[in-house]
Amino acid sequence: MTTTARIVRTLGLAATVASSACAHTRSQTTAPSEQALPDPGDSSTPLRPPVRVGASVLVKSARVMTATGLTLDEGDVLIVDGVIQEVGENLTAPEGVAVVDARGKTVTPGLIDTHSHMGVYASPGLRAHSDGNEAVAPTTPYARAQDGYWPQDPQIPWAVAGGVTSAQILPGSANLIGGRSTVVKFYPHVRSAAEAHFPGAPDGMKMACGENPKRVYGDKGGPQTRMGNVAGHRRAFEDGKNYLRALRRYEEELDKYTRGERDEAPDPVDRDLGLETIAGVIEGDIFVHNHCYRADEMLIMMSLAKEYGFTIRSFHHAVEAYKIAPELAAAGTAASIWADWWGFKAEAFDGIRENAALLFLAGARPIIHSDSAIGIQRLNQEAAKAMYAGRRIGVEISDDDALRWITSNAAWALGVDEVAGTLSPGKMGDLVIWNTNPFSVYAKAEQVFIEGTLVYDRDDPATQPTTDFSVGWDLKAAQGANDQ
Amino acid sequence: MSHTRTHTSRRGLRLLTLAIACLTASTSPSRADAGDRSEAPAGDTKTKAAATHVFVVGGMVHLGDGRIVPNATVEIEGTKVVAVHEAYTLANVPSDAHTIDATGKIVTPGLIGADTSLGLLEIEMEASTRDHSRGDDSLVRAGYRPSTAINADSSLLQIQALEGITSAAVAPSGGLLSGQVAWIDLLQGAHKDIVFAPSVAVDGRLGQTAAGSRAATISTLRRILQDARVLRSRASAYERRQLRDLAADAADLEALFPVLDGKIPLTLTANRTSDLLAALELAKEFDLRLVLLGGAEAWRVRAEIARAGVTVIVQPSSNLPRDFDSLGSRLENAALLHEAGVKVGIAVLGDPHNVRNARQEAGIAASYGLPREAAISAVTHVIAAAYGMDQSHGSLEAGKIANLVVWSGDPLELSSWPEAVIIRGAQIPRVSRQSQLRDRYLRRLRTR
Repeated sequence: MTTTARIVRTLGLAATVASSACAHTRSQTTAPSEQALPDPGDSSTPLRPPVRVGASVLVKSARVMTATGLTLDEGDVLIVDGVIQEVGENLTAPEGVAVVDARGKTVTPGLIDTHSHMGVYASPGLRAHSDGNEAVAPTTPYARAQDGYWPQDPQIPWAVAGGVTSAQILPGSANLIGGRSTVVKFYPHVRSAAEAHFPGAPDGMKMACGENPKRVYGDKGGPQTRMGNVAGHRRAFEDGKNYLRALRRYEEELDKYTRGERDEAPDPVDRDLGLETIAGVIEGDIFVHNHCYRADEMLIMMSLAKEYGFTIRSFHHAVEAYKIAPELAAAGTAASIWADWWGFKAEAFDGIRENAALLFLAGARPIIHSDSAIGIQRLNQEAAKAMYAGRRIGVEISDDDALRWITSNAAWALGVDEVAGTLSPGKMGDLVIWNTNPFSVYAKAEQVFIEGTLVYDRDDPATQPTTDFSVGWDLKAAQGANDQ
Repeated sequence: MSHTRTHTSRRGLRLLTLAIACLTASTSPSRADAGDRSEAPAGDTKTKAAATHVFVVGGMVHLGDGRIVPNATVEIEGTKVVAVHEAYTLANVPSDAHTIDATGKIVTPGLIGADTSLGLLEIEMEASTRDHSRGDDSLVRAGYRPSTAINADSSLLQIQALEGITSAAVAPSGGLLSGQVAWIDLLQGAHKDIVFAPSVAVDGRLGQTAAGSRAATISTLRRILQDARVLRSRASAYERRQLRDLAADAADLEALFPVLDGKIPLTLTANRTSDLLAALELAKEFDLRLVLLGGAEAWRVRAEIARAGVTVIVQPSSNLPRDFDSLGSRLENAALLHEAGVKVGIAVLGDPHNVRNARQEAGIAASYGLPREAAISAVTHVIAAAYGMDQSHGSLEAGKIANLVVWSGDPLELSSWPEAVIIRGAQIPRVSRQSQLRDRYLRRLRTR
């Protein structure tokens, strides 16, 4: 347990830092349905989803792309109680386990999106649904995406229909530090972010470089320039460092007191939810996800991170990542990028289709993200465009390599790679059955499983997830369904 | 007619061809790099003089109107298609002609971007790079003709062209009626020739455009059209100042005359069913050639749209209820419209930087039920016809402008790629700002 977590526990506070750190060790491969009842004071602990996952299934005779480098031309995946037990050929189903014949189909891990605002920027795009930017000050590390997440956002079921089983929900990029992100799984019919929470996933902290904070705060006291941006980031980390120091000093004094080396109990440090987030980053419990387009700014942020003793887990958007691919590889920082968005603002003007390919060539970790409730529906196609663009210039990228850009690399960036992102024994049974090669424009997810449970079947509307919002618009159809 | 080309003589086009032509890299890679700057005006695309007699031989040729001719050869002279030959071989090609071997490839008309801001916008967030909107408060800007501002040096042009977009409708935005739509061929650097026709349609938008009300928007548009009629029939009274106040500036109303005459279409963005029906009613009332853009809920009134003979240009991936005007959005929109007999066009609406993704959109429509041939037509012939430009564009036939693409495979598939792009009879060079940025850093990586 880290210092922050330990001290906050000592203080008897139900802190999210503590809970994420604990949850990570508690339930690496446990399906939520099997977990103990949550501590009601701990809002990041998953409640029991109304629809239980954790079923068993044997998916047979498919082309199995594992995202580990191994592809079976005709293979099987056995999931028992929500966890992948075996990937191989000619597997037999244990008694009572359903068999899905997937001959002629392709199976991949459930796709993972590192960048989504679903739930915090819900559809319809009403003013009332704008819950992603706490744009009241440039630094709001206390804000949490999980508190703005509307699970009835009608965009969410479409992501599942696109084969996406998990995503990081981030605050927007108006602020230098926008707050905490949360990683969710698209369990059906959840009623809160807590129910959707990816078991054990650490929170992220959203940071932003460049134009957005400048534009939003330029006339509101700053930052007005990139100079101001970086100064603001540095100030936040100085504050975080001081907070951590005060906590450590308190802990030392408390230890002395309990050992009888001190007469009076020390005064506890007032809890600061924002500084707690930054301290969590310095401690390595919270991962930094940094919206940053330009190469020069990414280099500055990497050196700032080094100065304060943390690593940026992933840059996001990073349209110029290809310019610093070797540096990203060396720092172990991923780049979550689009296949081809570019030019809509000056810092996106140098975008190229081969961004992922050049990162791949340099040994860095490319991830195709969506940042869009349309894009998240076809991460496979976006990865395909990036892959084919790379192949055209002679970069050797296998299908399995490109698959990792939307599965295992994303899982790594979100800190869930030990339990998700590949089809490997011991991992969560999150998988997609595609009608054809997922890198085809004609590819469709036919069936999607989360922890062994079928959560989407293209041919069976009864299994398709819906939200409360989408109910009641088509009365004729509803009447027809009632009559049956 | 006002929407046919007015400015360039055939001789002018031939000279243009010399200036922009570049021999095919696929058949003669060594020559592709042998650009001779002395032949090109300063600032123009690096060029190499090319034969103006070109044969694209042996491909599976999609004519664009739904017909496919296997093993066909497209013969081009100057800027135009002379013929599409069947049973033609390399041996038939005259020795002085230039050949592009398309054996085993697919040939289509160049794709056409509908409702783009190409040439009017470099960076969306930077006002200094934008000319797509006349920045006044008036609702009626029909007289705004942005074609004179189209920037042939825009980096967006070649980036789209290399991926198969050879022409585009360039539409202004803002207000209820935004202005006049220009038709361009994507010839980056060809300042004098990029605009094929400056005014092929008038563009507008329904919804809450006027007075914050959908109803006010419709009634305002009706009044504008009525006043345009009044102005036309009583021009002399207007000149003598004997006319009541009109709903808009005379110049903006005059620009609607060709719309009232049915010479050019009115293109209207509309999504909600009530707006779509109101647009159909206006079109009937004023006998307009209407084109609907967006059409999120068009499938709900497909029978009515089909009866009216109106083309709908959709973006198939737009399936979300992004507002209360598009609760009925669905992926099958294009297929349902097509099935009902509506002419369906497909476009990337609102992202000029990725007009190139029109073929992915067409692929998405195809995977949700639109027949593949209809999907190819939807990004070629249907768009040309919608803007009244099918006399010159959108299909491969004798007499049409020679805009075409040789694809490595299925044009809708993500693995396919244009191997040659021909615009006005000449193959475009295979470089863009993006390819040069890429190569700068690829070289660096490889020599590390």
